[in-house]
Amino acid sequence: MALPEPPLLAMHGIAKRYPGVVALDAVDLEVRRGEVHILLGENGAGKSTLMKVLAGAVRRDAGDVRIDGRPVDLGDPRAAQRAGVSIIYQEFNLVPHLSVADNLYLGREPRGRWPGLIDRRAQARNAARQLEALGVALDPQARVADLGVAEQQMVEVAKALSIDAKILVMDEPTSALTEKEIERLFAVIRSLRARGVAVIYISHRMEELFQIGDRVTVMRDGRHVGTCLLADSTMDELIRMMVGRSLTEQFPKRTARIGEEALRVEGLNRRGVLHDISFSLRRGEIVGLAGLMGSGRTELARAIFGADRIDTGRIWLRGRAVTIGSPQQAIREGMGFLTEDRKRQGLVLCRDIEENTSLAHLGRFTRAGVLSPRRAAETAGRLAAELRVKTPGLGQRVVNLSGGNQQKVVLAKWLCREADVLIFDEPTRGIDVGAKAEIYQLIQRLAGEGRAILMISSELPEILGLSDRILVMHRGRLAGEFRGGEVTPEQLLHCALGAHPVA
Amino acid sequence: MRFTHVLLLAAAVTGLVAGCGRQSGSSSSATPGKAPGPVIALVPKTLNNPFFLDMQRGAEEAAKAAGVTLVVQAAERETDVERQMQIIENLIQRKVAALIIAPSGSREIVPVVLKANQAGIPVLIVDTRLDAAAMQASDGKTVTFIGSDNYEGGKIAGKFAVERLGGQGRVAVLEGIAGHETGDARVRGFREALKGAPGITLVASQPANWERDQGYTVFQNILQANPTVTALFAANDLMALGAVEAIAAAGKTGKVTVIGFDAQDEARAAVKAGKMAATIAQNPALMGRTAVEKALAHLKGETVPAEIGVAIELVK
Amino acid sequence: MMPPRFLVTHARQAGTVAVFVVLCLILSLLTPHFLTTSNLLNVAQQTVINAVIAVGLTYVILSAGIDLSVGSVLALAGVVLALALQAGWPVPLAIGACVLVGAACGTVNGLLVAFGRLPPFIATLGLMSVARGGALLVTDGRPVSGFDASFRWLATGEVLGIPVPVWCMLGVYAIAHFVLKRTKFGRYVVAIGGNEEASLLSGVPVAACKVGIYALGGGLAAAASVLLTARLNSAQPIAGLSYELDAIAATVIGGTSLMGGQGSVFGTLVGALIMGVLRNGLNLLGVSSYVQQVVIGAVIIAAVLLDSVFKGSKR
Repeated sequence: MALPEPPLLAMHGIAKRYPGVVALDAVDLEVRRGEVHILLGENGAGKSTLMKVLAGAVRRDAGDVRIDGRPVDLGDPRAAQRAGVSIIYQEFNLVPHLSVADNLYLGREPRGRWPGLIDRRAQARNAARQLEALGVALDPQARVADLGVAEQQMVEVAKALSIDAKILVMDEPTSALTEKEIERLFAVIRSLRARGVAVIYISHRMEELFQIGDRVTVMRDGRHVGTCLLADSTMDELIRMMVGRSLTEQFPKRTARIGEEALRVEGLNRRGVLHDISFSLRRGEIVGLAGLMGSGRTELARAIFGADRIDTGRIWLRGRAVTIGSPQQAIREGMGFLTEDRKRQGLVLCRDIEENTSLAHLGRFTRAGVLSPRRAAETAGRLAAELRVKTPGLGQRVVNLSGGNQQKVVLAKWLCREADVLIFDEPTRGIDVGAKAEIYQLIQRLAGEGRAILMISSELPEILGLSDRILVMHRGRLAGEFRGGEVTPEQLLHCALGAHPVA
Repeated sequence: MRFTHVLLLAAAVTGLVAGCGRQSGSSSSATPGKAPGPVIALVPKTLNNPFFLDMQRGAEEAAKAAGVTLVVQAAERETDVERQMQIIENLIQRKVAALIIAPSGSREIVPVVLKANQAGIPVLIVDTRLDAAAMQASDGKTVTFIGSDNYEGGKIAGKFAVERLGGQGRVAVLEGIAGHETGDARVRGFREALKGAPGITLVASQPANWERDQGYTVFQNILQANPTVTALFAANDLMALGAVEAIAAAGKTGKVTVIGFDAQDEARAAVKAGKMAATIAQNPALMGRTAVEKALAHLKGETVPAEIGVAIELVK
Repeated sequence: MMPPRFLVTHARQAGTVAVFVVLCLILSLLTPHFLTTSNLLNVAQQTVINAVIAVGLTYVILSAGIDLSVGSVLALAGVVLALALQAGWPVPLAIGACVLVGAACGTVNGLLVAFGRLPPFIATLGLMSVARGGALLVTDGRPVSGFDASFRWLATGEVLGIPVPVWCMLGVYAIAHFVLKRTKFGRYVVAIGGNEEASLLSGVPVAACKVGIYALGGGLAAAASVLLTARLNSAQPIAGLSYELDAIAATVIGGTSLMGGQGSVFGTLVGALIMGVLRNGLNLLGVSSYVQQVVIGAVIIAAVLLDSVFKGSKR
C-alpha cells in the first residue's frame, strides 16, 4: 500500500502571543495540492495573523510548518517566497507608475548586457507569456495606475505565479470587484487549481465561498474550529461555527414609526457625476441606497454633506431650505456622515476613543475655550457603553480596535454631536458577521428614536433586510424606488444594471 | 520589549559619551607625568577655517612648552554667536583659569565677557576687537587684545593695488560679514589707500560672508555686471580663492589682480602660481602662541600691555 | 522583564526621560562641573531659545506639517524688535511688534499651505529665504546693538534665583501643554495631523486651524528672538541660521512623529534639554568640536530609531 501523499502545506500547532492577547492558539491548517481552501472566521479570529506567519511577515512563537512534507523556515518574506508562498493582500503591492511588465519582475529584472541594465525585451516577452497563461488580455507595457482594480489584481496574480508560487493566498480578493470581474477572477482561480496550485482564500462573502471553494477551515478566537468539505455544509452551519448564531437572527423585525420629512433633495446636479436627483427622507425612516460600484451613491452622499460642490439643486432640512457649502455647515444642520472608508475618512486612528468621539462636537465640552476632559470622557464612556464598544478603556487608540468597534466609535461621534440625519456609507464593510448584526440593531434603534437614516450598501441582504424604502442608482441617476419587503433581489439588481424599473 | 529598547539606547548613549570622556583626556596637551597645571581655554570663531587652525597650532605649541592644558572649542559656524556664547558659558562653568576668545561678534560677545569677569576668569581677546563702546557701557574688562591692525593691513593691500594697476583701473571688493570689525577695518584701510589714486574707480563692494563658495558666486555676479574689472580685494583668502575659481571659469585668469588677506598656505601657493597677486600675512599662529604666553604671564601676576600688535606683511 | 504599567502606556515619553536621566548621570560621573546649581541653570538658559522655537514646531509637526522658516523668521522679528527699541518704543510695544511680525510670517506660511495647497516644505522653504532677505534689507546686513537695562533684564534678571528666560520658557511650555491638551484648537491640531480627511468630514475647520498653527510657530520663533536679542544685547540679521534643524531635532527626540498626530509638548522640552545637556557636557569634557557634531547626530538618529523600533514592535 502506497503511503498517502503528504499535504502540500501543513501548519501544526502554530501559536502567536502579543502582549495581553493570544492571537493564535495552537492552530492547525492543512492544504492540498490543487484545492481552493477557504479560511473563514470573524475579524480578529486570527486568519490574518496565520497568513502573516505563512508569509514570513510575523514570527510564530511555536508550531511547525511543512511544505511538501519538508519543514521550512519562514524567517522573513523572502524566505517564504523561496518556499513557494505568495500572498495577495487587499491593498495591492504594485508600483503605480511602472508598467505591468516592470511590476511583474520588480526586484528580479532579467539582466541586460551590462550589470545594472535591464533586458527590457526579454522582460516584455516573459510578461506577455505569463499573462497569456493566465488567460488575461493585458498589455505588458500599460501603466499599472491606468488599470482598473480587477486588472491590477490580475497583475498581482501573474506576479505571484511568475515566482512559481505553489501556495497562493488571496485576502478578500473580491471586495472591490464587480460581478463580472468576480466571474473572471473565479475562472482564473479554477485554472490555477487545475495546474495544481493551492489557493487559500479569505472572504466574508458567504455566497462566493460555495461557488469557488473546495474545503473550508473555520477559525474563532485564535483557534481552529473545524475543517470540512463545502459540498457537505450549509451557510447556516458555517455561520454557527463562526459565531454560534444563525443568519435569520440578523435582521430583527421592527415596526417603523415614520414621522415628518427630515431631508428633501430636489434637482441635484454635479457635472458628470450626479444628474437631477430628487428624493426625501423622513424621521424614523431607513432608506436604502443601492446601486453598482461607481453608480454615484457615495458621490451623492458627499454632495449632500457639503464635502463636494454641487452645480445645481436645493436641499431642505426639516422643511427649511438650506445651503450647504462645507461639512462644517452640514454638521451644524444636524447631519452626520459615516464614511465608506473608516480608516481614511472616518477616524483619527492614532488617537484614542474619547478624542475620536468628541471630535465633531468639542464645543459641547468647552467652557470659556477650555476643554473639560472629564465631561468629554463621561460622554464618550456613556456612548461607548450604550453602543457596546469592546475595549479595555477609553484611552485605547482606535487603530487597535476591530472593524466593528471602530464603526461604533464613528457612530458615537455622530451621536455625541446629536446628529439626527445620518448617512451610512457601507456601514458593515470589513466587519465580521457577529458585529454586523449588532450594527444592524443599532441602525434600527437609531431610526426607532426618530432619526432619519440614508444607508448606502452593496450587500443586497442588508438593503433588503433593513430598509423601509429602497432607492436605486444607475450612472448618477435615480433609476428606481421600491418599498422594503415588496421587492426581490433580482428586481433590485435588474434596476441597478440599468434595465427598466419594475415598480 | 519596549522597556528593553529604552535600556539599550541608554546603554548606547552611555558608551558614546563615556568614550568621548576618555577621548578628551588623550587629546588635551597636558604633559604626561606632571601634575596638571592651569587649564587655558581658546575659543576661536570656528575650526573649519585654516586661519584659526593655525591659531590653534600656535596656542598648542605654547601650551606644550609651558606644560599647561589647553582646551580648544568652537562653534560649527563662524557666524553663530549664540553658540560661541554657550561654549564660553560652559567653559566658565568648568572654571578654566583663563579664556582666550576670537569673538564672532564684536558686541554680542560682550555680555558673556562680563560673566567671565564676575567669575573672576581673565579674558584675552585675539584677532577681532570687542566693540569699545559696548565694553565701556557695561564696564567689562579684558586683559589684552592680541591681533594685527586690520586697518593697516587693508591699507597695505590698497597701496599694492594702486602700484600694480599703475594708478588706472576698476576695482571690486569682497567684504566679510557685515558689521564685523575685522572685515570692516580691512575694507576701510583698503578704500583709504585708493583715495590717493583718482584714476581708480571702485565698481562694486559686496559681502561674501567670509566663505569660499560665496566668494565664488558673488564675484561671478560682479563679473557679469562689470566685465572690465581689473582688480579685486577680498577681505580674506577664502573669498579670494573662491573668486580665483570664478575668474578661471570666466576665462579671465591673469586679467584680474586678486589680493587676499591672511596668507593661508593655499593662498601663498596661488600667489606663487600667479593666480593671485598678493595676500596679507597676519600670522595667526603667532597670535595663538602670544595669547597663551600672555595668559600665563597674567596668571603669574605680571603686567601685560593692553594691546599687542602682531606684525603684518605683504606676500607677493 | 515586566515594566511598570506607567512605562507601557507612556513608553515613548518615559524613554526620552530615561535617556535624559542617564545622560545626566553619566555626565555627573565624568565631570565634577556638571552637577552644580550654576551649571544646571546655565544649561537651562542655553536651552531656552531652541526650546521655545521647538514648541511652535511641535504644533506644526503634530499637524503633519513642517516649518523650515523659523530660523529666518527669528532673525527678521529680532531686527524689527531691535529697530523698534532703538527708535525709542516702550519695551512691551516693541515686543508686541516683534511677535506680530513673527505671527504674520507664520500666517503667510499657513495661508500658502491651507489655501494655496503648497506642500509645507516648499511654502516654508520659500518664506525662509524671504524672511532672511527681509532681515538683511531692513538692517543693511549689520547687527543692531545696545539696549536699555530694562530690556536686557529679560536675559540678565532673576526671579526667586531662577533666570528670567528660564521662567519664560517654563511659562511657554505650561501654556502650550495646556492648549494642546485642554482646548479645541489643541485637539484639532492632533486630529488634523492624525487624519486630515476625517477631521474635515467631522467638521473641523482644517484650513483655519492650519493658519493658526503656522502663525503660532512664527509667533514663538519671534518670542525666541526677543530672548536671543536680550541675551546677545544685539539683533543680527544672520541670526538663527539652521535653528529650524535644531528645533526639529528637539521635537523628534522628544517623540513627536514626523507623520503627525502623535507627540507631546513635554517630550519636546525633554528633547531640547537632551540637546542642551549634551552640548554643555561635551564642552565641559573638552571634547573636540568635530566629535561633538558626530555625537549629537548619533543621538538624533538613535532617538528616531527608538521611535521606529517602537512602532515596529507594535505590528
